[in-house]
Amino acid sequence: MNKFLLHKKMYGLFAMILFCMCSFSFAQPVKRGTLKVTFVQTANGKDIVLRDSVYTNPFGETYSVNKLKYYVSNFSVPGSAQVTENDPYHLVNASEESINSFEIQLAAGTYQNIEFLLGVDSARNCSGAQSGALDPMNDMFWTWNSGYVMFKMEGSSPASNADLQRIEHHIGGYKGPYNVITPIKLSTAAGHEIKISEGNSTELIIEMNLDHYWNNAAAIKISESPLCTTMGALSKKIASNFSGLFSIKEVK
Amino acid sequence: MLKIKFIIALVTLIAAALLFISAVNNDGYGPYKPTPLAFKIPDGWPKPPTNIWAKNKLTEEGFQLGKKLFYDGNLSKDGQVSCASCHQQFAAFATYDHDLSHGVNNTLSTRNAPALLNLAWMTNMHWDGGVNHIEVQPLNPLTAENEMGETLDSILYKLKKDPSYPPMFKAAFGDPAITSQRMLKAIAQYTGTLISCNSKYDKVMRGEATFNPYEQNGYNVFKQKCTGCHKEPLFTDNSYRNNGMPLNRFNDIGRQKITGDPKDSLKFKVPTLRNVQLSFPYMHDGHIFSLYQVVEHYRTGIVTEQPTLDSSLKERITLSKKEKNDIVYFLYTLTDSSFIRDPRFGPPMYYVPGKLPDHVEPVRDRQ
Repeated sequence: MNKFLLHKKMYGLFAMILFCMCSFSFAQPVKRGTLKVTFVQTANGKDIVLRDSVYTNPFGETYSVNKLKYYVSNFSVPGSAQVTENDPYHLVNASEESINSFEIQLAAGTYQNIEFLLGVDSARNCSGAQSGALDPMNDMFWTWNSGYVMFKMEGSSPASNADLQRIEHHIGGYKGPYNVITPIKLSTAAGHEIKISEGNSTELIIEMNLDHYWNNAAAIKISESPLCTTMGALSKKIASNFSGLFSIKEVK
Repeated sequence: MLKIKFIIALVTLIAAALLFISAVNNDGYGPYKPTPLAFKIPDGWPKPPTNIWAKNKLTEEGFQLGKKLFYDGNLSKDGQVSCASCHQQFAAFATYDHDLSHGVNNTLSTRNAPALLNLAWMTNMHWDGGVNHIEVQPLNPLTAENEMGETLDSILYKLKKDPSYPPMFKAAFGDPAITSQRMLKAIAQYTGTLISCNSKYDKVMRGEATFNPYEQNGYNVFKQKCTGCHKEPLFTDNSYRNNGMPLNRFNDIGRQKITGDPKDSLKFKVPTLRNVQLSFPYMHDGHIFSLYQVVEHYRTGIVTEQPTLDSSLKERITLSKKEKNDIVYFLYTLTDSSFIRDPRFGPPMYYVPGKLPDHVEPVRDRQ
């Protein structure tokens, strides 16, 4: 094959790529906009500040929080076929350096519901070494019994009978009876729907209210369960409260 | 029409320029030209249960990086303990002649280091199966206080400071960034390709050798009484079973610790028997020192008053003295001397990206 022919072939190839790109954009006439999702963490009606404030749980037990991290993943918006994210896994961290906002692309439209998983889906728990939010460097991976800690809270409370009155809740488990991954479905209030239009960014603020962590489906008292660091019945029991943690605070 | 031609020409030009820029992208480590490695399944073996290379492309560069990491003591807190400290090639990558293994600061492990071979066929790692993927296994020994005692942060810091690593990460992954994910994937490329399939047993199966009468009798008995758990050709069925040993001094309940299910109490993974002659001492805590004693355990030593004892061992295993000896002769035929001497798996002498040391052959066709 001579050089000329080769060039001609490449020329054809690039023309083809161009054609494909054009036809792709023709086939996808859907207008898209950006939804910025932000998580805020509260207890007793105020934002949680690590190692600072003292909060009271529904059983009158006072506590402070040193560490609060959890995974949210696999966002979907019923009615929009177009949810695109570079990385569907996010680690929310109550530490003040953490941003806890990320953007997803949606088809233009008006939406009332948003769904996501609290935790990392089971498939990703057994898919080997991960990066980004799932990097084991984030200290959210159990090495001796592989799997992600889905929700981690550490702090202290006078009600705790553990060493240094600590609270250590590492809630995880992705399979069988001890699966704690919890689907969360949230709806907007009437008149406050999520409106996505091309070129505009809408922000959705989701509140994680720790008050419900202690008492929702199950009553979790610090005096009885200051420590939970393995998957199992206690982890599962605490996770039964997860569905009540989240609510939509604001759409703007 | 002219306009379209002009646009096409422009796009072509830009694309060519981009290609050119990426080709000469000069970070001082040379171009990224990975050499793909083929993962050959030995004849007659089953396919691995999952394809561990689906998201970890096997390359010569990745393998060499993984090997260097495996033999690097700097991955431990005191710089002394490498993966290879407890997984020695001459012991089929177990710890030779040690019931337990040594960690940093004169510590001891609580379980016997298993032989590392044919791991691509293993569904879960560790005696209790607690590790669900070959890539995340190293996180345990790297960070355990009584093994390598290090933190991931510190390991990556040291790797970034070592001038030999960035070019190897570039050669393996396309750029010199050093991340935990890349480190773990590279180690898996080394450990996942440690295939032992060239023992006398394999040669007999291939028709290249014959068993002597003792070995043959041992094999016959083995097939009757042992393959229920130690299934050919991998000599394990990857299950967890209680083989009748009492709770040990570490109160090691085995699989129950992972599943939380009392029915799994005292169950441990059925280990492969390949190279079992070299991987002594035996059992999860290494308390049996010879193969004769192991067979004797199944003959007379099983503690039968255990609710979770494997159903196949309730009556122990009836063996004559000759059968016992012959089984051991047969087990010796599982020793793969080419595996333990294969320089490809041995310590890295030196490595220049793009140039293999003379003694390193490209991937071997394992028939």
